[in-house]
Amino acid sequence: MPLNKIDKLLKHDVSWLVDSGPDGDIAISSRIRLARNIQGLPFPIAATPGQLEQIQSATELALKKSTTVGKDYLDFHMSDYSELDHQILLERRLISSEFVDKGEHTSLFVKQDESCAIMINEEDHLRIQALCPGLQLFKVWEQINKLDLELEKSLPYSYDSQLGYLTSCPTNVGTGMRASVMLHLPGLVLSGKINAAIQGVNKLSMAVRGIFGEGTDNRGNLFQVSNQSTLGESETQIIDRLNTVITQLVMHEKNCRSSLLKNKKYFLLDHVGRSYGILRHAYTLSSEEALNSLSGLRIGVDMGMFNSVDLHTVNKLFLTINPAHLQKFAQKELSSQDRDVFRAAFVRKQLKNAKLSKGE
Amino acid sequence: MLCDICNKHEATIHIQEIINSQKKAMHLCSECAVDKSQNDPSFDFGGFNLAEMLYNISESQGGIPGLTPMSDEESIDETNKPREAKETNDLKCINCGWTLKALRRTGRVGCPECYNIFREVIENALENMHRGKLHVGKSPGSQNTEKSSNFMLKLMRLQKELDEVIQREEYEKAAKLRDKITALKKKINSPKPKKKNASK
Repeated sequence: MPLNKIDKLLKHDVSWLVDSGPDGDIAISSRIRLARNIQGLPFPIAATPGQLEQIQSATELALKKSTTVGKDYLDFHMSDYSELDHQILLERRLISSEFVDKGEHTSLFVKQDESCAIMINEEDHLRIQALCPGLQLFKVWEQINKLDLELEKSLPYSYDSQLGYLTSCPTNVGTGMRASVMLHLPGLVLSGKINAAIQGVNKLSMAVRGIFGEGTDNRGNLFQVSNQSTLGESETQIIDRLNTVITQLVMHEKNCRSSLLKNKKYFLLDHVGRSYGILRHAYTLSSEEALNSLSGLRIGVDMGMFNSVDLHTVNKLFLTINPAHLQKFAQKELSSQDRDVFRAAFVRKQLKNAKLSKGE
Repeated sequence: MLCDICNKHEATIHIQEIINSQKKAMHLCSECAVDKSQNDPSFDFGGFNLAEMLYNISESQGGIPGLTPMSDEESIDETNKPREAKETNDLKCINCGWTLKALRRTGRVGCPECYNIFREVIENALENMHRGKLHVGKSPGSQNTEKSSNFMLKLMRLQKELDEVIQREEYEKAAKLRDKITALKKKINSPKPKKKNASK
């Protein structure tokens, strides 16, 4: 029955939450997305329902028979699921906002540990994404390339010798690849150096945006750095460049944190302490306040200030405080105010065993 | 000079439009420019449609490439619209029906063939979006691709035929096609296809 699959998904451990990769407190996860289309058929924006159905069945067939997409994948016909379920998938970054309620003939294939997801009939016929914890872009590329190589054996991809893989939007043409890393940069933000850092990254033609979609909103001190150009460079060249930029950013962030610890120790401790206080004792908690407080908590964890709160706890909270997740746990729709109350209670419960390891 | 949208980054794209001696100017950073054209192509910056602008660059650079100049007789046109603009906006993809107008409005194309039909316009836009004009990454295709992807193409052709035949209510033909499709699907799914070509 359709309802069980989302619940099934929620029960599994999510790879990038459970494992922590290299520099895991700063680089949270690495992601690569490939856009692919089948020859001879229009892109979803211009396709008839009949054509969309053809695309859906051809890609599902190819995915189901592939050995890389094995039995540990769940598949969803998006129209069988409620909007709340769609929102949950969106909050887990398994689908894009464009894919929510997109209509008939859209499907999603997700690996149970959520390290790989394939959208069918979003902006392109196939949008494949793979994730790894920490900064591990090359490892993600290895994984996603393996799947792509296998799929191309049974799906005739639309490809032009000059323009590369053809996509619905020319901004994706060529490699069809968007590589990105999610970063936690409170050091840069608190030191007032984030804008300069972003500008520096922009000059290297990489995009920086807050992870919640809109522009440079920096809720939770979380940022996503990705390549802007997909044409004119090979996949490995793009990844190499991005990796270099991120490595430098990570170092920059580390320097800011140690500098703050050295020169503004109490400012930093205060930031962590107040964040922790809010999370432990608030009775209403907006998602913005929760995210910002979690950022403070995360720094504290990194500095070894807590017993029984680790990065996994923080990462898990980061996911579960989102509106659709909360309503799923509450098993009913909640108004914005009720959500804030529920969120606060949820967080208090999750952190009730937390203790400060250093003396107060 | 800072970007007009985010007010944080340096503006690297400067747009000035002069129509009937009315000037409009816009300054964007590359990130906001790409961001808006991708996510919000109909976004109007005080009169600008960014997608339209990115795709109109060829027009602003002196005429529409590909159109041969008309003789005096032919160029007499009753409508008030500039002749060139009318013609190019009517340019249509023969495969999917997507128009240049739609491309400018949404920033997207309708099918792979559109890349040929609207090549000039797209190539000009690509220059501003990407670091190069030529794809140098991986390409699909090994020997394996040929056989199975041919099966897929065949499958899709048969399905298309089936749709058409059902619409014409030729149910006997439909039944036969359905059998062919089932057989082909079995072949695609089987690990070691023994026969080269059973159907047709």
